[in-house]
Amino acid sequence: MAGRGKLIAVIGDEDTCTGFLLGGIGELNKNRKPNFLVIEKDTSVTEIEETFKGFLARDDIGIILINQFIAEMIRHAIDAHTQSIPAVLEIPSKEHPYDASKDSILRRAKGMFSAEDFR
Amino acid sequence: MGLEVGEVSVRLDGLLLRFMDQMENLQEKRNLLNSLIEAGWFAMSKARYAMGNKCVSSLQYGHEIAPLVRLHTSALEKGEVQFRTERMEPKPVENSKEEPKEVEEIGPKEEGVRRRKTVNKKTDKEDPLEPKEMPDTKEKTEPDRMVKGQTLSQDPLKWFGILVPQSLKQAQSSFKQVIELAAEIATLQTQVEATREEFRTQLQSKQQLLQGREP
Repeated sequence: MAGRGKLIAVIGDEDTCTGFLLGGIGELNKNRKPNFLVIEKDTSVTEIEETFKGFLARDDIGIILINQFIAEMIRHAIDAHTQSIPAVLEIPSKEHPYDASKDSILRRAKGMFSAEDFR
Repeated sequence: MGLEVGEVSVRLDGLLLRFMDQMENLQEKRNLLNSLIEAGWFAMSKARYAMGNKCVSSLQYGHEIAPLVRLHTSALEKGEVQFRTERMEPKPVENSKEEPKEVEEIGPKEEGVRRRKTVNKKTDKEDPLEPKEMPDTKEKTEPDRMVKGQTLSQDPLKWFGILVPQSLKQAQSSFKQVIELAAEIATLQTQVEATREEFRTQLQSKQQLLQGREP
């Protein structure tokens, strides 16, 4: 399994998942859990968080792509993840354009500097 | 002591410049990623308009999907990780293997009467070398092959029909580029994190040196 490489997971709305599955990242078979989750209007935050944590626990996922508006719902879980692998990439959705000020990685980078540091 | 503070300050400046470069690079790639994703959605919407609202949706996903893109990670120095994508070509879905059919011979066997030699399919098994005493394994291998045929890497474009509009192919092309860019951005993110950590460490050592200098 390690020799075959890791997968890219996606948590997003239908259009996002359809697009990335068209790109060829999807895996779905009866032996393993799928590496994608299509978020509908009635999808609970608990389910999103459980799926995200499930992806983090898997050792065969290298990158998790997640719509930023969904990432906002589980921001605490994303902020708590500080390891390099899997990498979490926040992407825009059709209704919610990308906002750099909300991105976990960029917020951490922005918090690098404080007034005292430049003494 | 002053020299040490000076050295640490120079290192900090170097790290800061590296950090700024990495952030600028990250910003550029992010903007490109967002534009490509939006282009992909636009093309998908055009395809939906041409094919019908329900024809480009999660209802069309295959029952079994094999990934065509694999990610390879390699750990670099200072906690950085490089992500690299590998794309496999979709293989055609194979149904059960069939031996090439024998050519039907059409010709008179007897005078005045035409008879066709039909291929006796009962005796032509998929693997004629296997002994007939093991019919169970044959039954097992056939459904296995069928399942294997379905799980062979198939182009996801085929979920949406045989003749798909050009816009759907454009959408696929956009998302393929997005996937490659995503790997580059993930690499850059780890580099930014590594630089941030190193900067913080150097800053702490500078502050300790300065506190040590003060009476």
